[in-house]
Amino acid sequence: MNQADVTKLMSQLRIAVRPNQRNLKNPDGAEGRLLKLRKTVTALMKHERIELYYNRADEARGYAELLISNAIRHGDRHRATMELADYWLLEKQLVHKLFKVLVPRYENYNVSYTRMYKAPRDYPGMYYRQSVLELRGNPYPSLLMDQSQNRNLLHNVLLDEARKEYRRSKLADLVK
Amino acid sequence: MTMSATKLHKISWCALRQLQQYRTKANFSAGSASIASRNELFTQEQRRQREAIGRIDKIEVRYLGLPEDVTLVMNNQISTPFNCAQHLSEGHCRRSALALIDGSVPWDMHRPLQESCTLQLLNFNISEPHVVNKAFWRTCSFMLGAALTRVFKAEAKLQLHSFPGPNIKSGSFVHDIVLETQSWQPTKSEMRAISAEMIKLAAQDLRIERLDVQQELAQEMFKDSKYKSEQLPSIAQQSNGRVTLYRLGDHIDISRGPMVASTHFLGKCTVGAAHKVADEGPAGAFYRIQGVALPCGFKLNHVAYGFLEERSQKLNPARLPHEPFEEHQQMQLS
Repeated sequence: MNQADVTKLMSQLRIAVRPNQRNLKNPDGAEGRLLKLRKTVTALMKHERIELYYNRADEARGYAELLISNAIRHGDRHRATMELADYWLLEKQLVHKLFKVLVPRYENYNVSYTRMYKAPRDYPGMYYRQSVLELRGNPYPSLLMDQSQNRNLLHNVLLDEARKEYRRSKLADLVK
Repeated sequence: MTMSATKLHKISWCALRQLQQYRTKANFSAGSASIASRNELFTQEQRRQREAIGRIDKIEVRYLGLPEDVTLVMNNQISTPFNCAQHLSEGHCRRSALALIDGSVPWDMHRPLQESCTLQLLNFNISEPHVVNKAFWRTCSFMLGAALTRVFKAEAKLQLHSFPGPNIKSGSFVHDIVLETQSWQPTKSEMRAISAEMIKLAAQDLRIERLDVQQELAQEMFKDSKYKSEQLPSIAQQSNGRVTLYRLGDHIDISRGPMVASTHFLGKCTVGAAHKVADEGPAGAFYRIQGVALPCGFKLNHVAYGFLEERSQKLNPARLPHEPFEEHQQMQLS
């Protein structure tokens, strides 16, 4: 069959995308929703880590992934990608950041470019689900606790002992 | 679509609950009258000790740690470290597995404080977690006992023997039992059923209660259990005629303690092996049940955890139940 490989025509995202969109209640309708998402994507590219409501973050995440993915695939000499970047990034200096900083950073990644965490809800306050959305490889300290360094933690004690036992058995085999 | 799915889920859940109730009833009739009376005695003694306090004195508990050091005025013999944690935050209540009194004495979260002291709340992520790890390992052995009593049918004539002191470096936690059959070769699915029971216990989030009782009362409580009543005199001899008991749901066992606050601290858990260690008379045999577990919130990839599982299946070198006690000091029952 002399046909283009359809799967290569579009960027394949490395995150789970919902089948239907969230409407993100807005007085201005669909246009207002998109403006909201553009602001979020711009803020994410600018600050690299933002804390916001879960729904908005999850919705904006897909667009940010798509933007970065297309930028990597097509580079900065591709009109459609440039238009896409121009649309999603409200602050135009970020277009430079996208192509000169983020594309080199993510070129060889084989995981998603963004990362999302659930954050604690405000108490007392608006009881909406909160989340943190960040670009991978950002310069801030990690949000997750590093459990690999402290060798006294229970799983590390178990692993160290297992390793020692393995070495002992290998040594015993050598001696034989 | 979603509605019907939820409905279906609800129905199956109700059926499951009913089934569980039937099972507990069946167990109850089958020979767990002794468990009921044991629990009755435990509850009575707990109430008696609570009422014997009389006049309530105040103690000052100096809490050291995050968010800031504070002094709490608590009730002597009534307030527990858990109550202190309740003054701090919900997160403290949820995360604290064990308390440390005066910077050195490990103390159960649900054990009343005896005098003015300093208090630290420990979890599994502190820089020196040896005490908590040990308590966790001991709790795992204890929970394994509870899981085994729930899993086995009455026909198996299961009797819990004891569990040796916690040794994390051995790679497995242990509970020694006696079964009527001489040749039980557990299948994979049988072991999985025991692991699942452990996970169910963890999901129930049962509080682990501690009670010090006189030897006579302990004898009365464990009169149906041949091995426990044999062990009781030597245990009581070590601690001036007092015996420390722990309760989890309706399962009661003897242990020196301390243990972690609740069963919900159990995260990943695998009960991997049951070794026959010796014959016990003409009918019955000692079995050593072993498993490995991680506290909740600890993430380990399945390859690394697989190594731990594999290692936990080798026979644990701790003192075997049928061997004589060499020394009173080293005696069984952590």
